Amino acid sequence: MTNIAIVNAHTHRDLQVKAKASPAFDAKHFVTVIVAEFPLLAVQCPILLSKDAETGAFVCGAVLGFTQNENLFLTPDGWQGYRPLTLQRGPFYTVGEDLAIDLDDARVGTDAGEPLFAPNGEMTPYLRGIINAMQELRPGLERTKRFIETLMNLKLIEPIDISLSFDDGSRHELANLYTIDREALRALPDAAVLDLFRRGYMQLIYLMIASLKHVPLMAERKNKQLSTGPAPAWG
Amino acid sequence: MDRPIQHIVIVGGGTAGWLTAGVIAARHKARMASGFKVTLVESPNVAIIGVGEGTWPTMRTTLEKMGVSETEFFRHCDTAFKQGGKFVGWTTGAPDDAYYHPLMLPHGWSQVNLVPHWLQDGRGRTFSAAVCPQEAICEEGLAPKTIATPEYRGLANYAYHLDAGKFASFMQKHCTEKLGVHHVLADVTEVKQDESGDITGLVTEQAGEITGDMFVDCTGFRALLIEKTLGVGFKDCRDVLFCDTALAIQVPHESDDAPMASQTIATAQSSGWIWDIALPTRRGLGYVYSSDHIDEEAARAELARYAGTQAEARKIPIRSGHREMFWKNNCVAVGLAAGFLEPLEASAIMLIELSAKIIADQLPARRSVMDVVARRFNEVTHYRWGRIIDFLKLHYVLTQRTDTAFWRDNVDPASTPERLQDLLRLWKYRAPWFLDEFDRLEEVFPAASYQYVLYGMGFRTEVDPVENSADALLASRIMEENAAMAQKMRANLPKNRDLVRKIRDHGMQSI
Repeated sequence: MTNIAIVNAHTHRDLQVKAKASPAFDAKHFVTVIVAEFPLLAVQCPILLSKDAETGAFVCGAVLGFTQNENLFLTPDGWQGYRPLTLQRGPFYTVGEDLAIDLDDARVGTDAGEPLFAPNGEMTPYLRGIINAMQELRPGLERTKRFIETLMNLKLIEPIDISLSFDDGSRHELANLYTIDREALRALPDAAVLDLFRRGYMQLIYLMIASLKHVPLMAERKNKQLSTGPAPAWG
Repeated sequence: MDRPIQHIVIVGGGTAGWLTAGVIAARHKARMASGFKVTLVESPNVAIIGVGEGTWPTMRTTLEKMGVSETEFFRHCDTAFKQGGKFVGWTTGAPDDAYYHPLMLPHGWSQVNLVPHWLQDGRGRTFSAAVCPQEAICEEGLAPKTIATPEYRGLANYAYHLDAGKFASFMQKHCTEKLGVHHVLADVTEVKQDESGDITGLVTEQAGEITGDMFVDCTGFRALLIEKTLGVGFKDCRDVLFCDTALAIQVPHESDDAPMASQTIATAQSSGWIWDIALPTRRGLGYVYSSDHIDEEAARAELARYAGTQAEARKIPIRSGHREMFWKNNCVAVGLAAGFLEPLEASAIMLIELSAKIIADQLPARRSVMDVVARRFNEVTHYRWGRIIDFLKLHYVLTQRTDTAFWRDNVDPASTPERLQDLLRLWKYRAPWFLDEFDRLEEVFPAASYQYVLYGMGFRTEVDPVENSADALLASRIMEENAAMAQKMRANLPKNRDLVRKIRDHGMQSI
């Protein structure tokens, strides 16, 4: 169940949120991201496109693992690297122009985690950070949609098959993933290239292409984990 | 007289006219800058018949090549998926008597003929279920793809059910706006010919005279050009296919979220059969019957019993058969003007596509070579009509029903074409497969289709277990693969009704 309420300094002055990454909420191998996050993500993991299961529409996403619910950035010591906004936001939503919180979310309570408000009633840095994230996320989704539409119109998207074998004999095929069609990119007329560049899309395109190199690097990390035995249990 | 063929004039604005216009215009688009022109003349006063609400998978390629968005096609033509035909009551008429003719080839089609292996040990599965996943998909009301599958691609092979009236309007818009087809709304009052018989122009009531180099007759049963002008006769095939009347009716779905079948259901009746085609908005039903075997009142009663409604059905007289010649002089007939067969295997629209494709691909450059193209077109088209008639008759000759004169008369050898009789004799000892009989490029039904009907209807081919043992392991493995594939598809495919709604709401991606 969800119980969404607009955040309010009076009613929610004692509320606390367990903001640290945890397997219960962050064990995801693919999360949707916005274009503003590309520079942060491109240095750590592949940025690809996938189709929303409900609508078939393309979304941009970060690949964090190779099997369902595997997240190689989530360790017993916490999140390693940049944590995408959609995970950072935790139990928060926006309703209209207001910030809202799901009071039934297991991370929300009054006894542990980050307080939303200081004893004097002021917003904590944590809450201000959430507000910043939400303010970036909403228009960011729109911008990302326009970027994807541009890629579609220029026929720059192509499917990519990622097939990996690991030392323990296991094989994984990642399906429903798409990337930039480099041949189509090279064949673009000058005017289209210039337009992509002026709109800042060319940089995004090259970040996506460069980020593909993280596929073998992440596979190597996973392979090391496999050979050093099972990951230590969560404390 | 020799002249370049630059202006194609199509008469008739139904499914045949617009599909032909679209296929020709798309194929020759580049030539339009140098004077090539396609004109479609349509009477503002003639209603289109709009038969044939089922297509073949060929329609996917036809539409894609014309640059039609599949999403728009779903949104504007009340389109739904079709994954084959389900034939109910054709063999014995018993309550559980049904079989499928799916659109996918048997699994491992080119590696091994599964028929003798299935006959020897079918493990209680129907033939179609043993060799193809589509029966299981259809029985569960599942779609052939997901919302993430790109336009025109399928996880299972598929065709369409559509509203033919809406389809003609949709194609009109696409042809005139995107493909440069000229549309003239006018009644033809006179057809002008030169001394050789070639049509030179159409005199119209509203738009003066329209001249052209080549004419396509899509005027339906009127056959204005091919028959009324050029005098080409009609070859009746009622001696083989008895049905001569259709009663058509539309009924609403039980509710907006009632399951929607993705197979055409053809249910045998006392003197013919009823089609049942589900669109998102309604079901289209029709009783195709032989008026020699049942009177109209009794036929109406049978349809009412099936439909569960007393609503008045529209009566459409039908005449099974085809032109003695399809292309004469500089005129070719496409659609109902070329002929008609009962819609048992949805051959009407498919034949339009095939004819339009040959016309477009082999469009004679000059009048002097047209007669050669015409002769070849006539040969191929004749062959195709003959094979379709054979294949439709196959559904009737295999019946074991003796309850009415209609079914008894249908197994009379005198009503079965000789070629089909020969094949039936051969098939007693060897099942049809791959390229052994149906090996021509212009073949319409592959041997697989004959397999589905033959073994769906309980035909027995003698099996030699010794001969079978050579590839028994391979056959067994392929049938197991098929079962696994069916299992996987059942787990992953959405409900047909849900997917069609999602496509209307969200659209499909082009990749």
